[in-house]
Amino acid sequence: MQAIVTRELSKSYTRLGRPLPASLDKLNLAISENEVFGFLGRNGAGKTTSIKLLCNLLRPTAGQAAIFGNDTRLPEARRHVGYLPENPYFYEYLTPRETVDFYGKLEGLNAPARKKEWDRLAEMFNLGGIQNQRVRTFSKGMRQRLGFAVALVGDPPLLILDEPMSGLDPLGRRLFREIILKLRDEKKTIFFSSHVLSDVEQICDRVGILVKGRLMVEGRLDKLLERRVQLVEVILRGVDKTLEDSLIGQCSAVRRSEAGTHFFVTSLDAGNELVRTAMQCGATLVEFNPVRETLEDYFMHSQEAGSP
Amino acid sequence: MRVFAVAQNTFRESVRDKVLYVLLFFAVATIFGSKAIGWISIGQDIKVMKDICLAAVLLFGVLIAIFVGTTLVHKEIDKRTLYTILARPMRRYEFILGKYAGLSALLGLVTALMTGAAALYILALGGSVDLVFFQAALLIYWELLLVTAFAILLSSLTSPILGAMIVFSIFVIGNGTRILADLPQQFDDITGRRVLELLYYVLPNFSNFNILREAANGVAVSGAYVAWAMLYGTIYAAFLLAAASVAFERKDV
Repeated sequence: MQAIVTRELSKSYTRLGRPLPASLDKLNLAISENEVFGFLGRNGAGKTTSIKLLCNLLRPTAGQAAIFGNDTRLPEARRHVGYLPENPYFYEYLTPRETVDFYGKLEGLNAPARKKEWDRLAEMFNLGGIQNQRVRTFSKGMRQRLGFAVALVGDPPLLILDEPMSGLDPLGRRLFREIILKLRDEKKTIFFSSHVLSDVEQICDRVGILVKGRLMVEGRLDKLLERRVQLVEVILRGVDKTLEDSLIGQCSAVRRSEAGTHFFVTSLDAGNELVRTAMQCGATLVEFNPVRETLEDYFMHSQEAGSP
Repeated sequence: MRVFAVAQNTFRESVRDKVLYVLLFFAVATIFGSKAIGWISIGQDIKVMKDICLAAVLLFGVLIAIFVGTTLVHKEIDKRTLYTILARPMRRYEFILGKYAGLSALLGLVTALMTGAAALYILALGGSVDLVFFQAALLIYWELLLVTAFAILLSSLTSPILGAMIVFSIFVIGNGTRILADLPQQFDDITGRRVLELLYYVLPNFSNFNILREAANGVAVSGAYVAWAMLYGTIYAAFLLAAASVAFERKDV
């Protein structure tokens, strides 16, 4: 079963009766169970709008969305969802323990189950030491940890995380990354938006990139980046002057190091051809490095492609 | 369970509201200051004190209901605490009912405390407190429940300041609906007459809850009348809460 399906999901607003550009324009997505999906885009691209539509905080202007087959407007759909908003806010006068207990009640858990949830989440997010501290005294990172813990109350199979790494220090980011990877191992479905592309690269199976409310690109991360080999570096040994001169026409650049002679070509095919020629002439292959585009490069290209 | 959880939290939140304590201070000051005004009216002091004490319970109760009630839902949207709550398997009307129940519980406590303090003070000064005094306090509480329903409705529709102004206006007009009943006959214009008649029927008649004069004079009021007034308030409040739920259901947060 698909964990999330959206069909032509759109959201737009009006100002003084005049329509504004759509915040989200005909979003079509299908996210399978046990998948980790990264939702990327610049500020104002429509990521939070999409997430709010999935959590029924906004009403769509057109289209529909379903979670595990249930329309998102129905409470049954949200029974399976743990949601972490960007910069989560909780009642300031509650302690983390009381906060988790409150959300446990909303989830319909009885008292022993709520206590069990607290023990589990306090250990997972290191909340034990601050269990009696009021939320009002919390730093941003502590609130974020509590927010993630609250999202996991009731052990939902789907997690929707809006900028989960935002405002975290390196240790906090590492903790969150480890927890997300652990949840992935537990076969949870995770849908999250992020600006931190290195985190997305490490965690996600698939990504979607939103540009000005439209989904520009969507696919498996390895496939998306595979298509974009920017450069191939071929390192050869035993290359004499004559061979180097004959190969130089096939390359964009050449340099020498202790490892050997480095030839740079612009495609995998050109690299293979160069290796074949060189080896026929007695050279030895030391390394063959396709320099792939990073997610950041890809993201930047997508933004440019989406710009008018 | 979910409604109860929200109600419990609303109660805890409202108890921490500083406005509550400021208003309670003035309410208690008015109750204990009623002796001074009662002293002016020779031979009628206890009667006047009862009147002033119950009026203080009503006035400060209404102010608490308006100032706390009109911020309840709006504050949750403004502070974004609502996001994680509505993302749970919760229907929006459950949230509205929880908010209403929490504030109603607080108002129940406040009314009981103020009425209890007033009754003890009157007894301490040698007066007597009979059943009708407590019946009047009960109907004041029911009136507060109706004002709270208006406050919750406005809180889910508009800003707290505008909401408070509208609810206070409804409270003032609702206490003078008898004037609205007489006014149409003085209008030649049929449209104007129809509008005033419509207002008379649509706006709540808060004077149904007002038995302060009877309480001050110790005149018995039948249980049937009290029950009828409570039923009227309950039906009206239920209608307002239903409207608040529908409005909130359609709201983007």
